[in-house]
Amino acid sequence: MQTEKRFSDSSPNPTQRFVSIIILLALLLLPFSACQRGGGNGKQLTLAVNSGVEGSALKQAAKDYEAQTGVRVNIAEFPYANLFEKELVDLNARTGAYDLIMLDDPWFPKFAANNSLTDLTPLYEKRGLKGPDDDFVPASIALGRHPYETGALYALPYVGNSQLFFYRKDIFEKHGLKEPATWDDVLAAARAISERETAGAPNGGRMHGYVMRAAQGNAVVADFMPIFWAFGAEMFDAEGRPTVNSPEGIAALRFMLELGKYSPPGYQSFNADEVSAHLLQGTAAMSINWPAWISAFGDPAKSKVIGKVEFTVMPGGARPGRAEIGNWLMAIPRASKNAEAAFEFLVWATSAEQMKRSALRGNPPTRKSVFTDAELMAKFPAYPAQLRSLENSRPRPRTPFWNEIENAFGIYLSKANGGELSPEDAMNQANAKIAEIIGRGK
Amino acid sequence: MRGGGRGPGAGGRLMTYALAVFAVVAALLPVYWMLTISLKRQVDQLAVPPKWLIFEPTLAHYADAFLERSFAQYLVTSAIVAVSSTACALVLGTLAAYGLARFRLPRKLNTRVALWILSTRMFPPIVTAVPIFLLMSDLELLDTIASLVIVYTGFNLPFVVWMMRGFFREIPRELEEAARVDGDSRLGALRRVILPLVTPGLAATAVFCLIISWNEFLFALTLTQTDNAMTLPVGISGRVTQYEIEWGVMSAAGVVAMIPILVFALAVQRYLVRGLSLGAVKG
Amino acid sequence: MLSKVSRKLLKGRGHTRGGERALPYLLIAPTVAVLVALSIYPLVYAVKVSLQSDSGDGARWTLQHFARLLSDDFFRSALAHTLVYAAIALTVEFLLGLGLAVLLNREMRGRSFFRAALLVPMMLPPVVVGVVWRLMLNSSFGVINGTLQSVGVNTEQLTWTGTPKLAFASVILVDIWQWTPFIFLILLAGLQAIPEEPYEAALIDGSSPWQTFRHVTLPLLKPAILIALLLRTMDLLRVFDQIWILTQGAPGGATETASLYIYLTAFRFGDFGYAAAMSFVLLLLTNVVSVLYIRLLQRQEEA
Repeated sequence: MQTEKRFSDSSPNPTQRFVSIIILLALLLLPFSACQRGGGNGKQLTLAVNSGVEGSALKQAAKDYEAQTGVRVNIAEFPYANLFEKELVDLNARTGAYDLIMLDDPWFPKFAANNSLTDLTPLYEKRGLKGPDDDFVPASIALGRHPYETGALYALPYVGNSQLFFYRKDIFEKHGLKEPATWDDVLAAARAISERETAGAPNGGRMHGYVMRAAQGNAVVADFMPIFWAFGAEMFDAEGRPTVNSPEGIAALRFMLELGKYSPPGYQSFNADEVSAHLLQGTAAMSINWPAWISAFGDPAKSKVIGKVEFTVMPGGARPGRAEIGNWLMAIPRASKNAEAAFEFLVWATSAEQMKRSALRGNPPTRKSVFTDAELMAKFPAYPAQLRSLENSRPRPRTPFWNEIENAFGIYLSKANGGELSPEDAMNQANAKIAEIIGRGK
Repeated sequence: MRGGGRGPGAGGRLMTYALAVFAVVAALLPVYWMLTISLKRQVDQLAVPPKWLIFEPTLAHYADAFLERSFAQYLVTSAIVAVSSTACALVLGTLAAYGLARFRLPRKLNTRVALWILSTRMFPPIVTAVPIFLLMSDLELLDTIASLVIVYTGFNLPFVVWMMRGFFREIPRELEEAARVDGDSRLGALRRVILPLVTPGLAATAVFCLIISWNEFLFALTLTQTDNAMTLPVGISGRVTQYEIEWGVMSAAGVVAMIPILVFALAVQRYLVRGLSLGAVKG
Repeated sequence: MLSKVSRKLLKGRGHTRGGERALPYLLIAPTVAVLVALSIYPLVYAVKVSLQSDSGDGARWTLQHFARLLSDDFFRSALAHTLVYAAIALTVEFLLGLGLAVLLNREMRGRSFFRAALLVPMMLPPVVVGVVWRLMLNSSFGVINGTLQSVGVNTEQLTWTGTPKLAFASVILVDIWQWTPFIFLILLAGLQAIPEEPYEAALIDGSSPWQTFRHVTLPLLKPAILIALLLRTMDLLRVFDQIWILTQGAPGGATETASLYIYLTAFRFGDFGYAAAMSFVLLLLTNVVSVLYIRLLQRQEEA
């Protein structure tokens, strides 16, 4: 008691006590804010990449680059949807967090429209070049120009994806089916397989003739567009007005629902992982998708169908089949503080040698020489088909509203697949919504 | 024994146990499943019929997550952010709660301020996310641990104030009066006499704050741009790639994300119930 | 030592008296300051942005975002989904939580273990919960359908995340799984805080267990109930994390709640103005509901 009294006599008044607490707090927070933005001396680059095989390849390349040149490359990795959001916010707010961004080609019009990407031509000219060399596949380079195909160059293509059509050649041979050349062939084969292979899957269960991605959003739209185009439909007419509810468009959607009957139940929410799981587990016999999976088919830890899957170009219909292109591009945000260093990396990463390495890591290239490289062709027998597909592919509509349109269109397609709306109603409502989205931008 | 619980008869007792066991199984089964996913090879994870107990285990996913990828860094970041924001919220909030509980402010400010503090929890985080992002960007705090600590402190404060206010009001004023008569200053009395009494409440509140900060997703997603400040939840959600969902890595990270919280909360579990009952729930 | 520092800083400040009048304000000030910075500023910004339209050549003041609210059917369904979701989840969570609290308030062996185990779901990061349940609910490879299949149930139509109604139910189920423990915890604490006397009195009066429950337990539990419901409602109205991982609002927008739609509008379509306008509606909704609760709480407090 005695000591306490003495102590409390000399204790400071409440306000003083209080201030000391605040000082303590400030000291507590200080170290954390300081030690983050370090390392401004050595050259550093920050890359935003996609979670997945494309991003992994770039991550590896970055490590190689660091070993070669000593420039530190930081990677920020995000899943597809998040990557878009992060990049969009970074570009709009011009925070300069990223020096290089990987982007899926449909995002490009929106990013480029806001003047937030760096024009690459002046950077080429500084090196005494006019622009990228001719080895790039023209369809891929066209994606990085704003306006499409003719404008200034803001991005270089890194991964040359275009859709392929996969099918189980062993099952087709078993039932005497030819390789499908039109969508009607596909439907007939799907029907036949579904009816006959009631116990054909490796686990003794049913095999389905077809499997598709119909999850709302990017998935269902990406899988639907080839059918849509093959039926002769177009999203916009020559004046830029939406025409998804044309007779051809409605027929295409109706066809998709037919095909859905031979797909595994629940396909209405399938995304890439479910589709690949069905193909790998052997429970489905046909599908559209991106070439990135080809390597998984041969992996015993993942696949039950090693050596049984074949790929071909997109089936046609009223119009010849054209695959949808889906390249991953790389661009430099205008707000980046290391544009020159980023450009060095960009040119290095898209060089033929580096692209070959990326190809060995599972990414289709965007250079003709790499597609026709002997070593790669031996390893990836599908390359000739892929190159043809890529050269002949077409992009999704190049509009800065693509994300909203894809979202809305995806919702209506999803409703149709779920039986909530008839094909006519779905397309009519989708058309109205797309018109509204475009109209808002005027 | 409080609360009106009576020991039921034998049949009733059996029912009670049966229901309790059922509830516990329902609560823990998904957690067990996640644990098994983190230890299974990919081809087993998706197998039908599902492999509940017998499978060939592998630690590959843990190695992948923590050695190959940056999950160890995310773990440390989450820990720093959670502890710091909880500490800050506890200090600031307890002081504010004391101020609101013990002093009568004019014009009913006590209740008004308390209610306003509670109301800040109501605004949908979605829209505060954008302005706060811009604010942090202007302050050059974007993609730093500090920005998360500040925001999470803001999340935790209303909770701390409300809980601690309740606890403080439980304690009779006489105790402080006695201490002050002995020569203590106001704050000294607080520290020496009152705080020890509300320790259970502090513990309960601290655990809730830790959980909220540790699990938060939206702001961590918005305010972090690179590995510099990425927390576990954001890292885990990032395993949803375009072609496959990396269930193994996600589960391994998820299991590790769970462990600290579980350990800590179970340690103070006794205080949780007692602490809550002493405080806010009595009104 | 620190006190010496602060004493130096406040040289000449009066002794206890003067410091004390300012004390409560000083105590409350930092908290208020932090909260003002993190809530008032964003609010003001949101108001500004919701009344502006950025059409490339500078911002104009306009009410178009609010006008759009009236005709946007996506927003209307998002709101409807939010309300239905909240109502169902709250009811079930409350009933289950109450039941569990009463159950585990009784004397039994291993009570601590049961209570501890039941707390686990609410401690998990919602993101992790979303991931686990998404895997479990997968219609082709998930463990739920797998188990059902192995006992002979035909699971072909049980596409948990693929059919609109089932997806909605699944999302609510996950919420119930994760948050019932929260209500359970608060109600249990409330039950434990009730003293013995009222029960003894009721016993003497010869009340049946049900009557005791209705007339003794429930009224005394009221503050705990109100707090539990208030906190839970506020969180339900702005639910985001686990739905985002589970379904992202699919299929066909069936599980798209208000928060999800606002998020997409802001971060995927970049339309911050409209997102801000929508969130004011959500805020208004939350306000109305919370005011009800808070009124009840206030009356409780003053009693």
